[in-house]
Amino acid sequence: MADRRRINGPAGATIPPIFDDGVDKKTASQKPTRSRPANAVRHTFLKTGVTPSASGSAYLEVEVPGKPGVSGLKLSCTVHGPRSLPRSSPFAPHIILTTHVKFAPFATKQRRGYLRDPTERDLGSHLETALRGAIIADRWPKSGVDIIVSIIEGDQDRETSKEQGDESWDMMNALSGCITVASAALADAGIDCVDTVAGGVAALVREEANNGVAKIVIDPVPSEHVKIEAACCVAYLPTRDEITNLWFKGDMPDDNMNTYMELVQQGIQASKFANRVLVQSISETVG
Amino acid sequence: MATTTSQQVLLCPAELAYLHSSLSLTPPIRPDGRTPTHFRPLVAETDILPGTNGSARICFADGTEAIVGVKAEVEKTRGVEEGVEESEVREDEKEGRSEWVELTVEIPGVRDDDGGTAFLSAMLGEALLSDGGFVKRLWINRRWHWKLYLDILLISPPLSYPLPLLSLTTHLALLATRLPRLKSEGVEDPFFDDDWAAAPYLYPRDKKSGKALARPPVTLLVMAVGRNIIFDPAKEELAVADVALAVSVGEAAETGDNDMGGKGRKLRLLSVRTIDPPSRVTPPGVPNATNAAYGAAGTTQKQPEARMAEAEAVEGVWRAPRGGAKPLVMAALVQKTLERGGVADEVLDALEGVDLG
Repeated sequence: MADRRRINGPAGATIPPIFDDGVDKKTASQKPTRSRPANAVRHTFLKTGVTPSASGSAYLEVEVPGKPGVSGLKLSCTVHGPRSLPRSSPFAPHIILTTHVKFAPFATKQRRGYLRDPTERDLGSHLETALRGAIIADRWPKSGVDIIVSIIEGDQDRETSKEQGDESWDMMNALSGCITVASAALADAGIDCVDTVAGGVAALVREEANNGVAKIVIDPVPSEHVKIEAACCVAYLPTRDEITNLWFKGDMPDDNMNTYMELVQQGIQASKFANRVLVQSISETVG
Repeated sequence: MATTTSQQVLLCPAELAYLHSSLSLTPPIRPDGRTPTHFRPLVAETDILPGTNGSARICFADGTEAIVGVKAEVEKTRGVEEGVEESEVREDEKEGRSEWVELTVEIPGVRDDDGGTAFLSAMLGEALLSDGGFVKRLWINRRWHWKLYLDILLISPPLSYPLPLLSLTTHLALLATRLPRLKSEGVEDPFFDDDWAAAPYLYPRDKKSGKALARPPVTLLVMAVGRNIIFDPAKEELAVADVALAVSVGEAAETGDNDMGGKGRKLRLLSVRTIDPPSRVTPPGVPNATNAAYGAAGTTQKQPEARMAEAEAVEGVWRAPRGGAKPLVMAALVQKTLERGGVADEVLDALEGVDLG
């Protein structure tokens, strides 16, 4: 559906020019590599109650390496409600959850329009599944809550060319951030949940340095790896030991079941790390 | 999301509780009498649309029906420098990009910007693209490629969650897809044979038996109720699911020696997604003990359901499930799908039996 209400730029994409800084510097910075151990996540900053007009809100930022031209994930989430449904809507015994995930037009290398594209709608569906399991929905019959996540800046590296960085893997990181930040905002809004749900990502990557043997890392940055074979994003409730949303994709090698289980397990581990940040941030607000 | 999965499950709490308990029995009793791994019977045909490169139609026994048409166009590959003369292209140099495939899903009565439809098409596309070999098939030469448009139409109202139907129809349509035979060589602008009879299949076939050597992925819907794992749930069954997953599997390449002894093929996991089960938005039941209509004392409030939310669960009274699923349950669902000689295997076998043009 075309956006007819605004004056949009030309359809063809334009990419900001990247200047060649000389050969030796380029080879040095050409390929960012992962300096963290395989089982460590990037540092995360999370703060609740940043938007006074919303009933609940949160802001999440993921650590950026010191390199210029690289941006980390920045997310802001607002929760509006619970509020009564309009009179015209049919009776609902549970709270009606509406999730809305939108990349800011300037969040990624490729400019995004103002209307949500299919990938954003897809992320919204994933987020809804993840949160619906956590919210105790039957405490609010006949009411609705809107959860709006805006991705202010995506995980991007300007140095990597567009072909190299496959955006589909970035979506997993974006989703796990969305889940964590939305969970913080729900807690800030005082909506009852069975537990705090947090998102975590694990990936099976192939490294040149490692003789092309695949290994599992958590919280992957796609530009840091030669090839991502498979990845999974998990929304996990730590005290209940339950998964509310699981998203896996990729091409598994033959002994797939064990690797798959290990991948999910590492995803859970990543989500436990995220949960720690989440719990700390919420208790700061309360305390 | 809610619009596609849960479109108005018109079941009362008592019916839901009954369904849930009969599906939790060992072995489960399904409302339509199938076994847990039994698929709904289906009618399939291919090459029904002469204007497409490949097409298929599948009709499920419950009356849902889908048509898929595949159209291919020649397109110039972006970002390739012109004028570079090259020698032989090795097989491993061929590479595909995800933007060479465009997949759209159309469901009647649902807005095309609906979240559920976007979810469905993302899921079907993801399975295809995860299988890296698929986009490679669209490579013509370094400068040109095929652009494939997959248009998936559900032509009946969505009586059940249409995912398995759409996936199977797409599978058949891709198997029946033929692309004109290339006559030109090397990097020159492509020039094709106009004899349609000579057009090779996108998924090459064995010359003698006519069986496809490789096959596109299929996406199956699987759910868990209590301790039972149930495949291809109907709408009513999905309404009481504890957890539902969409699992995409592809066929692993045969490794020459076929001495595994067991029947069936080797399967590869391509994608897994959690489906939001409509059971979470079902109305809760009220036990007689707290129901004023059954003589419960002191409960004259208007909405006994509201009070129910916090009370203990009573056997035989429906409550919408809360929380998620244990990691082990999720793993079991995937394991059961991938099993050698399991359901995915059976479905692929059955689809092999469909007469392809």
